[in-house]
Amino acid sequence: MSYDIDFFYTLKGIDTLMEGLLVTLQLSLTSIVIGVSLGFVVALMVMSPSKLLSWPATSFIEIFRCTPALIQIVWIFYCVPMLFNVFLDPIVMGVLALSLNLIAFNAEAYRAAIQAIPKAQLDASVALGLNKIQTNVYVVLPQAIRLALPVLVTNGISIFQQSALVAIVAIEDLMYMGKMLSTETYRPIETFTVVALIYFAIALPAMYISSQLEKRLKVA
Amino acid sequence: MQTTTQDTPAFIKVRGLKKSYSETIQVLKGLDLDMYPGDRIVVIGPSGGGKSTLLRCVMGLENIDEGTIEVDGKPYIKGQGRTEKNAIDHTIQKQVGMVFQHYTLFPHLTILQNLTLAPVKSRGIPRSQAEEKARGLLKRLGLADKADAQPSQLSGGQKQRVAIARALMLSPELMLFDEVTSALDPELVNEVESVMMQLADQHMPMMIVTHDMWFAKNIATRVVFCAGGVVVEDGTPEQIFSNPKEQRTRDFLEKILHTENAA
Repeated sequence: MSYDIDFFYTLKGIDTLMEGLLVTLQLSLTSIVIGVSLGFVVALMVMSPSKLLSWPATSFIEIFRCTPALIQIVWIFYCVPMLFNVFLDPIVMGVLALSLNLIAFNAEAYRAAIQAIPKAQLDASVALGLNKIQTNVYVVLPQAIRLALPVLVTNGISIFQQSALVAIVAIEDLMYMGKMLSTETYRPIETFTVVALIYFAIALPAMYISSQLEKRLKVA
Repeated sequence: MQTTTQDTPAFIKVRGLKKSYSETIQVLKGLDLDMYPGDRIVVIGPSGGGKSTLLRCVMGLENIDEGTIEVDGKPYIKGQGRTEKNAIDHTIQKQVGMVFQHYTLFPHLTILQNLTLAPVKSRGIPRSQAEEKARGLLKRLGLADKADAQPSQLSGGQKQRVAIARALMLSPELMLFDEVTSALDPELVNEVESVMMQLADQHMPMMIVTHDMWFAKNIATRVVFCAGGVVVEDGTPEQIFSNPKEQRTRDFLEKILHTENAA
C-alpha cells in the first residue's frame, strides 16, 4: 500500500466536523422529542376502536416501517416541495423525514408495551372500581412507559445513526462535512475513520445507558 | 348450620343468565341462582362448566347475552343481547370485591400503594386515612412488614393475601374468589385459605370457585354444582359431598375425590 496514513489535515479540519456534529445532534434530538411524544399519540390511534383513527395510523406506521429510510428522506426532500409547492429550510425537512420515521417505530414500541400488560390487571381495576381513565393513568401508562423505554432509547440511538443519510440531500451534517473534508484533503481513510469514531463515541455510551436502564426496569 | 328458606328475600338473585363468547361457544345457558344473606357459596364443577364465568358475570367483567342479576331486590345487571352493552348499576358494582387466580397486583406499585390506589383515586378517601386502614389490614393478615415491598418480592401466598386485603380496603358486601389457590404451590395454599376462613368467621358473604374439596366442605354453607352452563345441583356441603342426588354430581365427585386420594 502506497498510502501514508496521516491525520494532520483531518485533525486540522476538526472544527468543520464539529459544525457538522452540531447539525447532526440538532436533527436527532429534535426528531427524538417529536418521535417520543407523537409516537404515543399514534399508538393510541392504532389501538382506538374507531376505524377512522386506527386505519390511517396503521397505514402510516406500515409505510414508514416497510420502506428504506433513505427513500423516505429523498422522497420527502424532492417530492414534497414539488407536490405541495412548499419550500422549507433543509434542516426542517431533515427533521420532518427523520421524525416521521421515528414516530412510526416508537408507536410500535408503545403499542407492544401497552398490550404486554396482562389483561387480568384490567379486570382487577374494574373489580376495584377504577374507571377507564383512572385505569389508564394509574395502571396502564406507568407500566407501558417502563416497558417501552428501552426500545425508545434504542430507536433514538438508531435515528442518530440514520441521520447520516440526510447528507445525500446536502444537509450539512457530520457525514456531509466529513465527505467534504475528505475530498478537500484527499484523506478519505483518516476523515471517515474520525467521522465514524465521533458517531461511535456518542452512540456507545447511549447504548450502555440503555442496557443498564433495561436491567434496572426489569426488576420492577 | 345455616338453613335458607325460600321466604327470606334473596341477597343475590341470578335469573336466566346466558353468556357466549362467540356464535358457537356458549358458556352459561340460562343459569339461575339465589344467594341468601349469610350464605357462603362454593361453586364446584368440571372445567368449562361456567363456574368462573358466573363469578366474572357477577363482578360485571363480562357482557352477558341475556338474564338479570339483582342485589337486595334492586336490578344490578341486565343482559340486552350479545352485541349490546349490559345495563349495569355501577353503585352496586362497587359493593362487590373480587380476588383472581393470578394475584393481579400492580407490579409498579408497592404493597401499600396497591392497597390505597382505589380507595384514594376512586372513592376519594384521604390518603392518610387509607394508609392507616391498609396498615391495619396488612397487620391482621401477617404482612405488616411488607407495606413498602414490591409485589415481585413476595411469595405467591403473600401476594394472594395482599390481593384479598386490597379488595377488603373497599369494604365490599360480597366477595368473589375465583380459584385463588389454584396457582399456588401446595404449601402456600393454607395461608390463603385461613385468611378466607377468618373472613367467614366475620360472616362476609362469599362466592368461591375452588378445586379444593376439603376446603369447600369446611367453608361453605352451600355448595353449588355447576356443569354445562347451568346449576345441576345445589345443597348443603354434607348433602352434596355425601349424598348427591344427581348422577352428574356423583360422577364428578367420584372422579375428583379419586384423584385427590391418589395424590
